[in-house]
Amino acid sequence: MRRCWAGLAMAAVMVAGGCGLGDAGQGSAAPAAGTATGAANGEVKGKVSLQTWALKPKFTDYVQGVIDAFEKKHPGVEVEWLDQPGEGYSDKVLSQAAGGTLPDVVNLPPDFALPLVKQDLLLDVSQADPKLAGEYVPGGLDAYRYPGAQGTYGYPWYLNTDVNYWNSELLTKHGLDPKKPPADLDQLIAQARTLKEKSGGKVYLMSRRPELGDLANAGVKLMSDDGTRFTFNTPQAAALLDKYRGAFKEGLLPRDVLTDTYAGNAKLFGEGTVAWTTGGGNFITSLATDNPSLAPKVVPSVAMGTPPLYVQGLSIARQTKNAPAAIALARWVTSPENQAAFAHLVNIFPSTRASADDPFFSKSDGTNSGDAKVIAFTSLAKAKMLQPVQVSEAMNKFVRQQFALAMSGETTSQEALDAAVAKCDELLKG
Amino acid sequence: MTHRRWFTPWLLAAPAAVWLIVFYVWPSINTVVLSFSNAKPLGGGRFTGLENFARVLDDDQLADALLNSVVFMLVCLPLLTVLPLLIAILVEKKLPGIMYFRTAFYTPVIASAVVVALIWGWVLDDRGLVNGFAQWLGVVAEPVPFLTDRWLLVFSAISLTVWKGLGYYMIIYLSALGNVRRELHEAAAVDGAGPVRRFWSVTVPGVRNTMLLVSVLVSVSALRVFSELYVLSNGTGGPGGRAMSVVMLIQLYSRGFTGHLGYASALSIVLLAITIGPMLMLLRLNRKAA
Repeated sequence: MRRCWAGLAMAAVMVAGGCGLGDAGQGSAAPAAGTATGAANGEVKGKVSLQTWALKPKFTDYVQGVIDAFEKKHPGVEVEWLDQPGEGYSDKVLSQAAGGTLPDVVNLPPDFALPLVKQDLLLDVSQADPKLAGEYVPGGLDAYRYPGAQGTYGYPWYLNTDVNYWNSELLTKHGLDPKKPPADLDQLIAQARTLKEKSGGKVYLMSRRPELGDLANAGVKLMSDDGTRFTFNTPQAAALLDKYRGAFKEGLLPRDVLTDTYAGNAKLFGEGTVAWTTGGGNFITSLATDNPSLAPKVVPSVAMGTPPLYVQGLSIARQTKNAPAAIALARWVTSPENQAAFAHLVNIFPSTRASADDPFFSKSDGTNSGDAKVIAFTSLAKAKMLQPVQVSEAMNKFVRQQFALAMSGETTSQEALDAAVAKCDELLKG
Repeated sequence: MTHRRWFTPWLLAAPAAVWLIVFYVWPSINTVVLSFSNAKPLGGGRFTGLENFARVLDDDQLADALLNSVVFMLVCLPLLTVLPLLIAILVEKKLPGIMYFRTAFYTPVIASAVVVALIWGWVLDDRGLVNGFAQWLGVVAEPVPFLTDRWLLVFSAISLTVWKGLGYYMIIYLSALGNVRRELHEAAAVDGAGPVRRFWSVTVPGVRNTMLLVSVLVSVSALRVFSELYVLSNGTGGPGGRAMSVVMLIQLYSRGFTGHLGYASALSIVLLAITIGPMLMLLRLNRKAA
């Protein structure tokens, strides 16, 4: 019997230990003493740390150049640059936040910053730097303002949005005009049907599931104004899902879009089996590396509906011991000149108002890649963050799962939306 | 020769003991503590009593995940307890080239579960090798939805687990078969027992304890299945997430800035309780048989 219990105890340890979870962290970091109001005017000297996300080795020279210039401008300041790998960045930031070791200036997209704001771990930069609103575009600043929290919690760094990309060769070959791309979902479905019929089912136009952003684009309100509950289970949203369900049933989308086992629409587009994808302003440049023969045949066009806004920003740790230097560094990295220099290296767009008239972004060089850049830049004026930052990874997954059930016909669209809203509300309340 | 110091055994055991405490005992205790709280990676940690366990009872996804995990265990248990024994009996024979077969059966064991699952994913995909071949032969008109149908996905993962596990348990059985005395087989043969009779009356009783060990190992690992289902479904758990395992659900709840560590811990405790059930049953069966 003793052996039996010993075996059970061991098994218990195997199971529970295997599933064991680390320390909860408890968010114990206390706010820094005093206030950072007007810290932008303090003396810039001493050590300050900057954390970026996967910029080495591709942009090492650029970032180091920016840092060197900052140190030259402010003698007596020393910048420690930390670059974290792309994979597991959220876990890294999480452990830094839980351990009270956040770098002074840290690259955080708005959804990463929100939980840190809730724990009072980030500095309200609008309070510390009153000139903020006049220098950065409103969309970028809005991304770092959260319901229930006063202030702005990051300097918008660079922006991007989605552009539609069409494979002109496939469209022309199967009777569609690449110069007349669909302007809404109904037209998209109609053209997808034509492509399927003319290609004998070998080529798809549509190859992705609807997401919350699609509902927002159709005019569905995703969340209440106070950010305390989700509201996207409307008849309008159900009607949109019904359209996708019909398209899926007709075979207008690959079957494996339901599980994401498919390669992804950008990948399938690159392989030439899908004639439409969305991507950032630099999509054609990266496609030219993977499929050089396809890249010249790609035609860009404006995204359907409201283009999504993607924002990267620099936040400042509330516990920083050197707020003046941290603020100066964040302003320096996100200045119009440094952002413009960065945008010359990669197709991203500056978040500063002063960059709006830069012809580099507003005039195409005549190539399809240049056209895409201009389309993306002009789209930014009306781009919005379509998905609320409160939507966590788990919520996103549940929503995708419910949408997949609706598309496959296992549940009705309304049931799927109701279940998704109930689960998201439950997770939001936590 | 020299006087043995009292702390020598403790010193020798210390590294393993520290490892066990830090990476197994403490996380296990912590999991139990967290399961009664609303802990999150940042913040939370308030005692919530049995709230998480009450939520467990109302969780449709957990019901699906439990069913998947139990089916996984019920199918894997007999297959991985019996098939490796039969293979071990076959490759135990000293025949020319038998080492090749031993190596072939063991090779999947040393391959990474994730890599193997990725390869199987490509093979079973709608545009993969199996569907391509079946369509080329004209056996099926449409691709078989191995990865996009809940139960086909679960059974694809089971096939992968069985294929990968055969070699591992075969090695365990090979060592056990070495302890079954050859004289017993010879005596049985002299008494007129054929191969089947000798298998049931000599081999099986001789390796019964090993079969019990293998059954326990298989049932625990099958209930904790993760990699195979995760990689084959690309992390989604199949259409609507209905092919998730319990561990996938735990992972889903515990990840990210807003991870629900309290609820994930409660799920871990539920999984622990479920794992103990079949083990107790197997131990009882063994005692009865003895």
